[in-house]
Parts: sequence; C-alpha cells; structure tokens
Amino acid sequence: MAASGEDRVRETMDHLFRQHAGQMVSLLARIFGIDKLDLIEDAVQDAMVTALKKWPYGGVPDNQFAWLTQVAKNRLIDRLRRGRSSAELGEADGVFIAGETPAIHFEGEIAEDQLRMMFACCHPAIPADSQVALTLKTVGGFSVSEIARAYLANEDAIAKMLTRAKKKLRESDVEMEIPASSSLTLRVDAVLRVLYLMFNEGYSASAGELLFRRELCFEAIRLCKLIARHSVVSAPRVNALAALFLFQAARLPTRTGSGGELILLSVQDRRNWDKALITDGLIYLHRSASGHELSDYHIEAEVAAIHSLAEDFASTDWPRVIECYGLMQARKFSPVVELNRIVAIGHLDGPAKALTELDSLGKHYLMTSFDLFHITNAHFLVENGENRKALASYRRALEFIRNEPIRRHVTERMTLLGDH
Amino acid sequence: MAEYMLLLHEEPQDFSQLSPEAIQAVIGEYVAWSSKLEAEGKLVGGQKLKDDGGRQLSGWDGDFRISDGPFAEVKEVIGGYFAVTADGYDEASEIARDCPHLKYGGRIELREIEPTS
Repeated sequence: MAASGEDRVRETMDHLFRQHAGQMVSLLARIFGIDKLDLIEDAVQDAMVTALKKWPYGGVPDNQFAWLTQVAKNRLIDRLRRGRSSAELGEADGVFIAGETPAIHFEGEIAEDQLRMMFACCHPAIPADSQVALTLKTVGGFSVSEIARAYLANEDAIAKMLTRAKKKLRESDVEMEIPASSSLTLRVDAVLRVLYLMFNEGYSASAGELLFRRELCFEAIRLCKLIARHSVVSAPRVNALAALFLFQAARLPTRTGSGGELILLSVQDRRNWDKALITDGLIYLHRSASGHELSDYHIEAEVAAIHSLAEDFASTDWPRVIECYGLMQARKFSPVVELNRIVAIGHLDGPAKALTELDSLGKHYLMTSFDLFHITNAHFLVENGENRKALASYRRALEFIRNEPIRRHVTERMTLLGDH
Repeated sequence: MAEYMLLLHEEPQDFSQLSPEAIQAVIGEYVAWSSKLEAEGKLVGGQKLKDDGGRQLSGWDGDFRISDGPFAEVKEVIGGYFAVTADGYDEASEIARDCPHLKYGGRIELREIEPTS
C-alpha cells in the first residue's frame, strides 16, 4: 500500500463504491449480457461485501475498481458455471477464465458502458414510471432501500417495480447499445427526460428523506455530464440540461432550513449558494450555445442562470425571466410554466397584475388541484392586502399538498394571517 | 511498551444486504481506525484469516487427528487479527475499544504478546 493513511481515507470517500457498483454492473452486463442482470447485480454485491471483509485488515488496494471487478467477475463465472453448461457461457467464458483478466479499463470505456446501460434502462419498452428507478439501481449503484427512501416509497414496491422492469428488459431483448443515428435524437431525449425526472424528484421533493433526495440530484448531474462528454451522443441540449441542474443544485443548501422547512428563493441566503456549482453551470451553459439547437432545457437553464447570478432577489432580471417563460410558452403551452411566468410578472409589475392573470389561469383544469397554484394566489393576495381571500386560497392549497415542508410553510403563513 | 494481539472473533452483523454506499462507509471507519494507529506508530500489522474455519489438529503420535475447524456460520472463527503496541492493557483496551468491529457486533480478544527475551 503506497498511499499514506490519510490518502487512503480520502480515497474511500465520495460515493466511490456506489459509482463503482454502477460501473461494474454496466461493464459486466455488456460482457455477459444484460439478460443476466440479476446474477450480475448479485455478483457485484458479493464483491462489495468481500471488500468489506478483507480491506479493513490488509488495507485498501491501489486500484479498487480493478480489484472489485475481478472479484465480481469470478463470482459471476462461478455462478454461471454452477447453473449452466459452459457452452452457454459463450465467449465470456474463454476470455475470463483462461488467464488473468486485463485489469485496466479505460475511463472512456467504462463511461461508454454506463451510457449503453442508460439507453437500455430508458428504452421505450420499459414502463416510463420505472425508468428512473431502474437507472438509479443499475447505472447509479443505488440500493432498493435508498431508492425507496428518496421516494418515500415502500421497499417492496420498489423491488417489485424493478423486477418487472428487468423482466421487460429481457422479454423485449433490449440491447445495450448506442442507438443508430436515425433514432439517436429520440433515444437521447428519453434519457434526458429520465434524468430530468430524477433531478426533479430530488429537487422539488414531493416526498422522501432530504439526504437521499439530494443524492438523486447529484446522480442526475453525474450522468448528464457523462452524456455531455460523449462525442457522438452529446448535443447542445445535453449541456443545457447539465447547466440547469448545476444552477439548481447550487441553491440546494439554502432551500431548506435546519428544521427541514422550506425557504423561498426571495429570502434564501445567497452567500451560501454553491459558487463552484454556479461556475460549472456557466461553463455548461456556454457549451450549450454552440450549434443551432434551442431546446426547452436551454431556456430553463437561462432562467436558472438569471437567478443564480442576481445579487439579490430585487435585482433579478425579471423582464428577461418573463421573456424566457414566454419563449417556452410559444414552443409548447404549459400551465405550470404559465404559473411561473405570472410569478415573475408579479415581482415586476406588482400583485394586482399577477392576480388578474392568475384568475384566468385558474380556469385551467390542471390548476384546480395544483397546490402551488393556490399558494401563489394566496401570496399575491396577501401582497395586495386581501388577507381573507388569501386564507381561503391557503385552505384550498392544504387540500392538495403532499409535501410536509410545504404544508408547514402554508400553516405558518395561515397563523400569521390570524387563522386559528 | 509491549505488543498486543487483537483477535477479532465472529462475523459482525450480516453485511450482505448493505448498499454499496453503506459498505463504503463501514470500510471507511475501519480504515480511519487503523490509519490513526499507523500514524501514531502503534500499528504493527493486521491480517484477515480465511472464512473457511481452517483445520483443527489434535493428538500426538498414534492418536493424531485432523478435522475441519468451526464453520463460519457458527460464528466461532477468528476473522482476523491486528497487532498493536501499547503501554499496558489499559491503553491496548482503549485502542481496541474504538475498533469498528465492536460497533458492528463482533467480539475482540485482547492478548499481550510475551516477549521472547
């Protein structure tokens, strides 16, 4: 062990194992076949547990990934041999049993395997609602329990969902491949959509434990960067999405208070926004500007950039924010984007203007049961001095809130307004 | 100063279902513990023993017997050992006390090594 004690401690930090797990599953699935995913996941878990038993005594090996991969491969081959004839092992058998496995896997090769795995997990044959969980499990190295905690879901439910998704993978003969250029755009979009959902689950947090949700955000960033670095698959919108994630993530530490309560953008302590993430975001935003492509992600990233760069809430470039939301609406109308646009209008032109617009948006069927619509309405009613109406709006919001911090936020507001 | 042997008995709790993230954290605790000892010059060495339980030998002359050791499942095997230097059993106990092995349900046998001279 060449590394000093302190170095070795540092080496074992930063989710290395989780990432290694995802990398190994992808690597082994490419070699042995994605249809053996269950066996592969078991072998990878075995390798991790073996490391846990051995490393405390002898120390951490210099190349952890090579060590773990070798153990996982051997386990997998053992299991395959026990279960099947060696003919079924095919090529992989000869390659890995005969001699020493080449321990070096180039970083690009590992990244490519993970990318292929992402395309498989986000394949149209996989039910949309399981794609995020499947990606987290196989590419991200998250455990069932961690996914369940992020989603505040039952472990059994997540496990069943994954079993079904893997069955689909097998039945539909999904290949681990970089899609052909004819379908590449659509397939990349599918992956980006899954990453967007993954990030949002962590960020907007309809439920779940804070720590585990944050992990989802940073995993989405890691995977998005992985795509952005790939020469064939990357595209301006991939960089735009990475930029959006990074700007949003920079605000994560200030979005909730010590008691888990929600802190609104207007009163967040901007000094605590993560400057490194913002800088990183600007780099990706810059990269996203190459080429002719303009995606929704570009516009969303610009809005996030405007907020990230504003000195304080008052000096936010609201006219440009409103313009951006207008651009989005022109591409495809969404009542949720419209709600955001109205909030910006309220900040620029005052509550009366916002309330008028909210009135007409309120007729949209999706808004009646959307908690944030009623909260926004109440907010501007208070600013407009209409406390009684505001209370009624907050009460309406309470009917639809699923998120505990938001519920607390609303009840606090109601108490301030004299509701007992 | 004397040398002490920490014999780590038993498998600690079942780690087989831990997530990679959690496994990394546990390894980190062990490494932090041994690194600190190493930095203080108190760690002599440590090794993992195989989980197969080894062999038990007994008898002499015509009555020699060899049998399989206790199985890992019955948790009687020694999983491994560390050797440390300490200024008496008190300090050695302090060192052993911080070993994550105890935190995870294992048992440690502490023995002073008899110097040869």
